[in-house]
Amino acid sequence: MNRFQGGYAGRILYVDLTDGTIDNRPLPREFAEKYIGGRGFSSRILLDEVPADVDPYSPRNVVVIASGALNGLPMPSASRLVTATKSPMTGALGDSNSGGYFAPELKYAGFDAIVVRGASKEPVYLFIKDGQAELRPAQHLWGCKVHESHQKIVAETNDEDTHVLVIGPAGENMVRYACVVTDKESVGGRCGIGAVLGSKRLKAIAVRGTRDVKIADPPRFKKVIDDYLVSIAGEAWTESLRRLGTPFLTEHRQTLGIWGAKNFQSGIVEGGEKISGEVFRKKFLVKPLGCMACFIRCRRYSAITAGDSPFYTKGPEYESIHALGAKPNVTDPETILRAHYLCDEYGMDEQSAGSAIAMAMELFERGLLKRDQTDGQELTFGNGEALLYFIDKIASRQGFGDLLAEGTKVMGEKLNAEYYAIHVKGLEVDAADPRKQETRALTYCVATRGACHLRGNPYIDEFIKPEEAEAYFGTAAVSDINSLEGKGKMVAWSEDWVTLSDLMGICKFAWYRSRDFSMLVKRGLDMVAEAYQAATGIPMTSREMYRCGERVYNVEKIFNLRQGFGRAADYPPERFFREPLPTGPAKGAVLNREHYDRLLNDYYEARGWSPESGVPTPEKLKELGLASDEIQ
Amino acid sequence: MAKERIWYVEDSENMDQICSRCRMCELICTFHHHGVGNPYRSRIRVVALGKGVDIPVTCLNCEDAPCVNICPTGAMHRPQPDSMVIVNPDVCIGCGMCVNACPVGAVILDPGEGTALKCDLCNGEPQCVKYCPAEVLKLSGSSQFSKHRMKGFARLLQAQTINTETGLK
Repeated sequence: MNRFQGGYAGRILYVDLTDGTIDNRPLPREFAEKYIGGRGFSSRILLDEVPADVDPYSPRNVVVIASGALNGLPMPSASRLVTATKSPMTGALGDSNSGGYFAPELKYAGFDAIVVRGASKEPVYLFIKDGQAELRPAQHLWGCKVHESHQKIVAETNDEDTHVLVIGPAGENMVRYACVVTDKESVGGRCGIGAVLGSKRLKAIAVRGTRDVKIADPPRFKKVIDDYLVSIAGEAWTESLRRLGTPFLTEHRQTLGIWGAKNFQSGIVEGGEKISGEVFRKKFLVKPLGCMACFIRCRRYSAITAGDSPFYTKGPEYESIHALGAKPNVTDPETILRAHYLCDEYGMDEQSAGSAIAMAMELFERGLLKRDQTDGQELTFGNGEALLYFIDKIASRQGFGDLLAEGTKVMGEKLNAEYYAIHVKGLEVDAADPRKQETRALTYCVATRGACHLRGNPYIDEFIKPEEAEAYFGTAAVSDINSLEGKGKMVAWSEDWVTLSDLMGICKFAWYRSRDFSMLVKRGLDMVAEAYQAATGIPMTSREMYRCGERVYNVEKIFNLRQGFGRAADYPPERFFREPLPTGPAKGAVLNREHYDRLLNDYYEARGWSPESGVPTPEKLKELGLASDEIQ
Repeated sequence: MAKERIWYVEDSENMDQICSRCRMCELICTFHHHGVGNPYRSRIRVVALGKGVDIPVTCLNCEDAPCVNICPTGAMHRPQPDSMVIVNPDVCIGCGMCVNACPVGAVILDPGEGTALKCDLCNGEPQCVKYCPAEVLKLSGSSQFSKHRMKGFARLLQAQTINTETGLK
């Protein structure tokens, strides 16, 4: 019996792999209203279930797979799935977000979330169908790459409409940054979720559902859909993404000189025009793809059909080109696409893999790594063959690949080269070089899952009008990109607002891409609060909606504080303070420690956290309806 | 007035005008007819064949419709000579003969009600056509579709025909 009028399937599936028990529980109403869905569910469940002393690879760690509140409904771009655990990369809260069709399917199968505990002795996979779930043997799938695993499981369920989340060999071998892949193409990349599933010997989760997801007020919901579509139509971002996908950003990064090339030694890529979004479209694009209900269709479906080993792949993303192109300075597009495909096939995060190899390349060039340590490979920047060679070795943890499989933080510790490990809290810096823009640096560093460009939206100051800045952040100075004033508050606000997309299951590209601040507020708060009410029948104002985002962000902060991540963990890698960018349009850009200190203070103050420790004040906790004894 | 139905129309000139497997047509179809989210009750389905081939499939509105011919109760009927074949759910007994007879699989039995479901063109304003982000679903008669195909073929001919003797292209 579903106690919700709509939006929710109304059940959570608890699976204990140690004893094989499966428990199907109702979703508590108060929990749903407070944490909404997706990342809200996963973060809160992890806080409750994973104490500070749990090793990420121990059976006591928990993996949460959660749908957003609007997944499964005809809400534009509501396709996103959250997978979360205590991350082996960081020891902090880790989650990854992926698109595709799995999140809605989970709802059709009757569940809002799956909580996986314990560890199985033998490899198994979980099969969920219309309210029922069972564990099935997976010994015969152990060792299979992603495509093969997927196909075999779909065949076993005897239903082509089955959607499957799998880990690849990298997950089985507990490559620290192993990922999860749904339907062969949608990757939940970061934080090593796949490694934890590997440690639990859970090869896959297959899900099939034919049930309705109800809508409390259909006419009202239809109006929201229509308004939302009007709001994203004609956005320049939407058009760029449709044409080139995320690789359209390559040009943007090169023009600003913030590529993070050669392990962040350079802001530009020599020969960057060879790996631009246009090149990938022209050479490899089969067609654009869209996730469930997507009106943007940014996904690339690409192929290399000539030669000995042809393949089709969903990709590349900008992040693929950044991690497997710019960072190791590889400028052959075919090599990048192949490397991307291999990462997906082995089931590992290409951003961390590319970062690890790029770091090793720098160490090799500096003489800190010798050829006898690198399996005899000439590990220099630009060596695409070495890149492909080590992707194989990482997945199987052979030779030097065994160390690369640990990620840059561990590499830095083991090779006594921590300065060259460009990460925050253990997760490698992605997306772009933050030296040019201090708010970007702040966003990366305070992000609750380690370095991440998607936890906030630090670019608001580029387009916010002075009067909007005054109204929202208390000072018109926020509209001045060269001023630090009010920026801490701006970043904090943007984090809470972006968090809501992960609670709803809506893609960030349908969420935060506008050069009109009022539109961002309208789309990301007003319309979504309206959609949530129309879908669920639960009253929700824009203000309460915002509070839900803030509440979840604080829950994540509390999780990390409990793990010992205090103020010091919110700082960028030393390189960004010490080395100005040497060339290109951003030449001379470097972070200023005093500025950063001030930004961080302002940010903590705006959040209602103590400036020394980052601990939320009792007043803040009370305001958010969180008990003050949560931090132990 | 020729019989109309929903056609899948790719634009060979424009790579972006192609089905991208977003399944919005499925979602909006079920939402329009049943007020819920559930693509598996949709009267149009995107068929994924792999290697980038995704094709939405729905009722062909056959002239000599097997589903109408085989229906034992008259539930499956065509109200006017040039209209869409529709189901009268009050008369339908859910025997599934129409499902069996349909050459393209465009009829399903509703998992909820058990009665036959098929495209009814939403009373003249098909929601899948309206909401398709790629704009590849079109409501039209067969001659308009033929014309579109001819255009594509003509372009192909024009691109390939270079008569070196006459200089005509």
